[in-house]
Amino acid sequence: MSVSSNISQEDNKINIVVNERFDFSLHQQFRDAYSQCTTKKFNYALDLSQTEYMDSSALGMILLLKDHVDMYEGTLVILNPSDTVNKILTIAQFHRLMTIER
Amino acid sequence: MLASKNMLWLAGSLSVLLIVNQLWLQSDLLFYLAQLYLLGFMTFSLYQQEKEKINSSASSNNNKQMSDVDDVLIHEVIFELQQFLHQEIDIIEKELNRTKSLVEEAVTGISESFKYLQGLSGEQQNMILSLIKNSSSLDENDENPTLESFVSHANTTLEGFVKVIINTSKQSLQTLCYTDEMVTQFDSIFNLLAQVEGLATQTNLLALNAAIEAARAGEAGRGFAVVANEVRSLSVGSTELNQDIRNEISNAKEIIAKLRDSVEQMASADMTSTLEAKDKMSEMMTHVEKVNKHTFASVEELAILAPKINDAVALGVRSLQFEDLTRQSLHSLHENVQSIQAISDVLISFEQNDQKLVHQQLMVLKDKCQEIYHQTKQAEKARSVKQISMTEGEIDLF
Repeated sequence: MSVSSNISQEDNKINIVVNERFDFSLHQQFRDAYSQCTTKKFNYALDLSQTEYMDSSALGMILLLKDHVDMYEGTLVILNPSDTVNKILTIAQFHRLMTIER
Repeated sequence: MLASKNMLWLAGSLSVLLIVNQLWLQSDLLFYLAQLYLLGFMTFSLYQQEKEKINSSASSNNNKQMSDVDDVLIHEVIFELQQFLHQEIDIIEKELNRTKSLVEEAVTGISESFKYLQGLSGEQQNMILSLIKNSSSLDENDENPTLESFVSHANTTLEGFVKVIINTSKQSLQTLCYTDEMVTQFDSIFNLLAQVEGLATQTNLLALNAAIEAARAGEAGRGFAVVANEVRSLSVGSTELNQDIRNEISNAKEIIAKLRDSVEQMASADMTSTLEAKDKMSEMMTHVEKVNKHTFASVEELAILAPKINDAVALGVRSLQFEDLTRQSLHSLHENVQSIQAISDVLISFEQNDQKLVHQQLMVLKDKCQEIYHQTKQAEKARSVKQISMTEGEIDLF
């Protein structure tokens, strides 16, 4: 699996980890990782520490995740993006939309 | 001379007389002393007379021979003196004129070059002012596109472009989501169709059974057999229809698969080139900012420098007043030379008026000398006063 998710209901937390290539082929898996989670005020964490490549569809997927999070009044944090990935996130001005922790 | 000789003789004979008298008559010491005193007086008066004669040789007309020799010598000396003075005056005059013209030429040249420099400096100042005006109007006025505004504009455009790409991706993915849901719906339609097919098969079976039962009933079941046959043909028709629907939906699924492909292409744009462009853009932005800052600083420095150049030029122009002072100095030097010339002229008259007495001519010379000496002294005094007031007073541009 290129996308793995880890839900802990007790902590109201879901951790999604994406492997090296974050592109269109993952969209189904990525959506499945969070779509079942419909609890309100959930904390979403997207771990990009292992991700090396990202295309625009990845950004689109993150935006869809953001929409999902907003719909259920949760929070979204992107964790440990690499330099390249962080650059892409900066160009997309994602730091204005969500928290990026390095 | 003659009188002194007589006196000498008289004194000599008197003293001899006295000595003889003394030796002869054995007179007293007092007389002897008087005699010695007389001798001393005689010698002294003789000496006095000689000295007076040497000192006032011009006024003494007694010694004709001596005075003749002196006149010739004086003429010669005065001639030589006049020659010497004439030559010196010529050289000094020539040098004075040369200096004057040199200074005038130099000052004209320097003054012109200073004026030119002043004009250039003014031009430079104007250019700098317009430069400052331009560089400061960049931000307020968008009418003149600059590199900075262009780059910032391009940057904004790029950001908008990135935003559009991401939004397209997002919408495409959303579309894909809906498509996937639609495919799921199609699958459930297939299930429903299968159920309908089952129903048709069962109906077919039932119709078959009904036909068998109708045949067994014989003549009485003849009408029922017709109905059973119709029902069977209906079930076959519904099976065919089912197959058609299945085919259509399969086609739709194929089209949806194609749709997915194109949506995928739409959603996944490679960001690498955008990333590079963005990097280049920010690099350029930094560069432009640096250049702008540097330019602005340089322009400011220039703006400070230009008035300084102006001041320096003005100072130079003011310093050119030395020409005026030099000319004054040269002029007074010329006056001094004129004075010497006047003396020289008097000396010339010695030659011309040979018949006049040397004494008279010398007197004229002496008077002239005194007169010129006083004139020169007066002029010098006036000049030094003037110079002091010059150095003390403010010097204006001319």
